[in-house]
Amino acid sequence: MEILLQLLFSGIALGMIYAVIAFGYQLTFATSGTLNFGQGEALMLGALVGLSLVSTIHGGPYLNFWLMIPVVMVFGALQGAVVEWIGVRPAIKAKSEFGWIMSTIALAIIFKNVAENIWGKDDLTFPSPVSATPFHVFGANVQLMQVLVVIGAIAMMLAVELFNRKSIYGKAVVATSNDPDAAGLMGINTGMVITFSYALSSATAAFAGVLVAPLTLTGATMGTSLGLKAFAVAIIGGLTSGMGAVVGGLILGISETLTGFYVSTGYKEVPGLVLLLLVLAIKPAGLFGKAAIKKV
Amino acid sequence: MNAKKLGLYVAGIALLALFPVVVRNPYYIHLAETILIYAILLFGLDIVVGYTGEVSLGHAGLFGIGSYTAGIFFFKLGVPYVMLVVGASVVVTAMFGAILALPALRVTGPYLAMVTLAFGTIIQILINEMTFLTEGPLGIKVPKPSLFGHKLNELEYFYFVAILMLFALVAVNRILRSHLGRAFQALRDSPVACDCMGVSVYRYKVYAFVISAALAGLAGSLYTYSEEYISPNTYNFELTILFLLAVIMGGRKTRSGPLLGALIVVTLPSLLSDISLFRGIATAAAILGVVITAILLVKRQKTWRDVIVPVTSVIAMAAFSYNLENIVDWRLTIFGFMTLFVVYYLQDGIVGYLRNVSGKLWPRRAEVNDIDGVSASEAWAPRSQAAQTSGKLLEASNILMQFGGLKALNAVDLHVARGAIHGLIGPNGSGKSTMMNVLTGIYQPTAGSVAFDARSIVGQTPSQIALAGIARTFQNVQLFGEMTATENVLVGLHHTFHSNLFDVVFNTRRYRDEERAAHQRAAGILQFVGLSDMAHEEARNLPYGKQRLLEIGRALGLDPKLLLLDEPAAGLTAPDIKVLIEIIRKIRDHGITIILIEHHMDVVMTISDLVTVLDFGQKIAEEKPALVQSDPKVIEAYLGSSVTDSAHAVQSVADAAPA
Repeated sequence: MEILLQLLFSGIALGMIYAVIAFGYQLTFATSGTLNFGQGEALMLGALVGLSLVSTIHGGPYLNFWLMIPVVMVFGALQGAVVEWIGVRPAIKAKSEFGWIMSTIALAIIFKNVAENIWGKDDLTFPSPVSATPFHVFGANVQLMQVLVVIGAIAMMLAVELFNRKSIYGKAVVATSNDPDAAGLMGINTGMVITFSYALSSATAAFAGVLVAPLTLTGATMGTSLGLKAFAVAIIGGLTSGMGAVVGGLILGISETLTGFYVSTGYKEVPGLVLLLLVLAIKPAGLFGKAAIKKV
Repeated sequence: MNAKKLGLYVAGIALLALFPVVVRNPYYIHLAETILIYAILLFGLDIVVGYTGEVSLGHAGLFGIGSYTAGIFFFKLGVPYVMLVVGASVVVTAMFGAILALPALRVTGPYLAMVTLAFGTIIQILINEMTFLTEGPLGIKVPKPSLFGHKLNELEYFYFVAILMLFALVAVNRILRSHLGRAFQALRDSPVACDCMGVSVYRYKVYAFVISAALAGLAGSLYTYSEEYISPNTYNFELTILFLLAVIMGGRKTRSGPLLGALIVVTLPSLLSDISLFRGIATAAAILGVVITAILLVKRQKTWRDVIVPVTSVIAMAAFSYNLENIVDWRLTIFGFMTLFVVYYLQDGIVGYLRNVSGKLWPRRAEVNDIDGVSASEAWAPRSQAAQTSGKLLEASNILMQFGGLKALNAVDLHVARGAIHGLIGPNGSGKSTMMNVLTGIYQPTAGSVAFDARSIVGQTPSQIALAGIARTFQNVQLFGEMTATENVLVGLHHTFHSNLFDVVFNTRRYRDEERAAHQRAAGILQFVGLSDMAHEEARNLPYGKQRLLEIGRALGLDPKLLLLDEPAAGLTAPDIKVLIEIIRKIRDHGITIILIEHHMDVVMTISDLVTVLDFGQKIAEEKPALVQSDPKVIEAYLGSSVTDSAHAVQSVADAAPA
């Protein structure tokens, strides 16, 4: 029973990370109908840049963990803007779906390869900012970092939601996502909004990266599978629903830790991907998404 | 086949045959063998990427399934017959291709790309974990196969691969030139029109994936024997990207493109391992880039803004190459940049680019193959129509179509008499096009019944309904843009083909007869709608009015009993409209019933036998044209005033609308 509870706790922490990355997919999808296939790489870069700042590998430490977070998020925002500028904007202009899919994949490969050359191919340990000694909840071991992950993830998503609902800039984002053409006619610089959504999306991913890094190992290859599974989460929950991202993340995180323990760690990626295939085959709009009516 | 093409084939075969004789180095022979194997897979990938327009990130997985099927058949089951092993690989991989295509039934674009990526990832995990079958990370050793009791050596195996590659090349070529290839292209250009021509988008997408997977399986099994050792790490994401890069860089929708692409991606790693060679290439590229840019700028064909990014990147690449110690580590970065470059500056690939350039230098006449040359022996006439000319052909009763709270159609009856031209008019948003979509199965009505030819068609798919005899055109033209006018009509004629894959690949008599008959019929239809002289023009290049006529022609290809025309006169000039009216009359005289949605009142009023008027999803009138024009309810719907205010509005309805 304790084991099950413990698996649930780590599943929840993992699931919230997926939710944050999935949330990042939703941000860019809302404004431009495009997705960054390198979302996982944005997370990986965030984690590695964070690692350079707080550890000794590049002559540091320069900052402590908490001060590092805003720096990493700024870095993530810049990285997202670059992706949008190089990979997405020309494709949107040319109305080429194939274009942005291929170019965000190409950029993801480049980021990963560059990271391999800077930080090496081996996984590195990320120093935990809080005590790693677990405490007990109903007999199950819980790490403080896991709690921080859940809190941080929720805080991040709430902050973005609040921004969208309350601020005038957020209203521009919402307007663009509803109808980009009309928003453009109302004087909103929709190109800017799309760039902003990419910056925000990658900043979220980078934030997720430094949150998850102390719990797992950090390395150039960490992003790809996280990005893919977070996409599964975004699809399972529905690309238009923030609530869906959280529920989808929890479903996936928990099913994954359970599979890892009861079946084999080698198979722990499989349930999420199978779930993705099933959802797309049965209800492509996701559990919380609304199906669009096709017009002829 | 013309002499030039034949020459190309002979030269290609001679090159393949002589290569190992001239180049005796086994390393290069093995490299060439790998190129041929990749080419087989890329032919298949091109079917998915180039023709159906989907991005597949799962082909490394399919390749792996092919490889491991061969490996397991040999290693675990001890099957010695190479043709049996290769055949099994093809069949097993094709089955996985069908599984992969199942989600493709519901999604496209980025979703499908992610699905295929997930599929590829799962396959790699399974190969790694299912050690009882695959030996996991240890890998499987497989020696070169024996053929007819003779163990093939490296050279003989090269020829074995070369022969299978040629077979794949011819087979894919034939498939893509046939009605199957046209269906693949059509579903990319306009899925909805494709369904409404009786070509089920779902079914043909699955076919495309299955054929593509079969080729990946063939390539995979050949790869197993070629390498003599397989392990899970080969079939990773990087390989998938390499395959995609090869297809788009070589040139989509060609056979030479994949061959060239395979050549590039296979030789690239060995080129890149030589740093001085790479520096040379990068420098040459930079110089070439600067020179081309200078020419473009001097000729004022491009502005600084257009060229700044590519020029800076080639120069940066050259500079970067001199600062590198170990190029192998940066291989993926270079692949990434090449992909970006191809996506933005070389969209048609190298082969496509060369074709464009040569097309500009030596303008070619439209490509006419031997079948296209068939002239129409007679202008189009429909196949024998049902003898009965009385009674109702279509009875749609009590149709309710609800979107959320909105009732787009509310208890509408539409009964259409056989052989009539039935006008359907109403202000914008009154539900006319919704009615069309209900009748053709694109929407499922919330309630109500639709009987066509006394059989209910509610719940049937658009393609089933189309095959039952309802053809349509679209309000916003939905042609297959990248296909010629003839090919567009041939998609409409898809239902006349009964040939299967076997017939197509082996070019049997049945297939040849059907293809010839279809081309003849297409030529007749084009003559009927007056497009004979534009038969080989791509549909997207036709003037707007001709596009509308071509849509009608394509719909006639279905041999429909009922033809739905959705605003055929929209955007047409006055002379074009006269031609259109003539054509519509002729179609009716051939015994085809017509429902005509139109805002040009003069058109509707001159040719309709009966006119139904919709307003806010409700039928407000159904009368003869003359009576409709004086119906107070109709006038109110269009002009929004009461009858007494607009006694003279009768004429206005007719006048106002064409504007």
